[in-house]
Amino acid sequence: MHALDEPLRELIPRLRRFAVSLTRNASSADDLVQSTLERAIISWADKRVEGDLRAWLFSILYRQFLDAHRRSRRYARMLEFFTGRDDAQPSVERTVMAQSTLQAFDKLGTEQRALLLWVSVEGLSYKEVADILEVPLGTVMSRLSRARHALRQLSDGEIASPSLRILK
Amino acid sequence: MISLPPSERDLHAYVDHQLLESDRRAMETWLAGHPEVAAQVHAWQQDAQLLRASLSGVLQTPANPQLDPALIRQRIRHRSRRHLATAAALLIAVGIGGLGGWHAREATHPPTLPMTDAMQAYRLFAQDGIMPADYKTQDSGTMQAWLDRYFNQAHRLPDLSQAGFRPVSGRLLTTEQGAAAMVLYEDRQGQRISFYIRPPGPGNGFLPRGSRSADGLQAEYWSGGGYNYAMVSPVGQPGTPLLKF
Repeated sequence: MHALDEPLRELIPRLRRFAVSLTRNASSADDLVQSTLERAIISWADKRVEGDLRAWLFSILYRQFLDAHRRSRRYARMLEFFTGRDDAQPSVERTVMAQSTLQAFDKLGTEQRALLLWVSVEGLSYKEVADILEVPLGTVMSRLSRARHALRQLSDGEIASPSLRILK
Repeated sequence: MISLPPSERDLHAYVDHQLLESDRRAMETWLAGHPEVAAQVHAWQQDAQLLRASLSGVLQTPANPQLDPALIRQRIRHRSRRHLATAAALLIAVGIGGLGGWHAREATHPPTLPMTDAMQAYRLFAQDGIMPADYKTQDSGTMQAWLDRYFNQAHRLPDLSQAGFRPVSGRLLTTEQGAAAMVLYEDRQGQRISFYIRPPGPGNGFLPRGSRSADGLQAEYWSGGGYNYAMVSPVGQPGTPLLKF
């Protein structure tokens, strides 16, 4: 067995979760994870190891998703999703509260979903996120801020929340 | 050290546990006196928690066997064998056209002497230099990585740097026994040694460690990790007899 296989195997559930949050569809998500693992295994040989495996895999997956988004024909099943046949399945375990957060989350754009998942759910550092997106740290911060405000507004619906003064 | 009142950036860093411990405490003290900002921060914290809760169920999804790394690795290997076959078609054409057809001969009479193909490959690539390399490098680490794309769990490339030899180029070819590769080492004087690897073939012809010479070439061969190996160099090449593989 290859030394990389076990660490990869352990990260598959997280990759699937990230993929689901991007595609909102379990089977498209697994297609995405599969192509991510393929790419990872092939390019592992050339990888200059720095930082953790998870962030590296997330960045591969994210890029694959964006690629698929641009050339959606390459993924037949994803096509359904991109043409609007969104059959994301509701999960019974989710609490009502969480459900509304999740619904709000699903309304966010691709990058905002990825950003919130990396930071809030996976706990990646800002630096790791900056590396994945290939943007400066300050850009990550401002995009994160916008994503949080957007999620807040969408979850709250009409209920007005005290808006934050812009602090210097 | 953060400055107070905090920037929005620091508030996010607080929510994401990315502040230093001393800053975190300073932030908490400050937030206690500023309920409006604290409410906003708390809402973000709550959103993050709810997001974690709602997405945790996905982690429990039953495993999909199609996603197992070992299986994916196997699929990639099958695919690279097909690529190897394409590279080999060219090689065979060269062999039959220009070199008296040793491929054709070997196809009808399987070699009885071990690793004849390794010595033939040395002649083709190291002595005649007729085929361009599939891979060139200055660094032995990347050569190993290149080789690992095609061969799983194979023995490592021998380190011949003590004797002044470094891997410089790699070539892919097919043989009757399956996909093979040859890595050529060179020293500063331009002397060459090859490392050759291929599967044992349908009969699982693993080899006891041994050596033999033919037509001016010397081959050391052995088996391990599911493959046969040979190191080939010209007979009497200075320095070579001292090497251990």
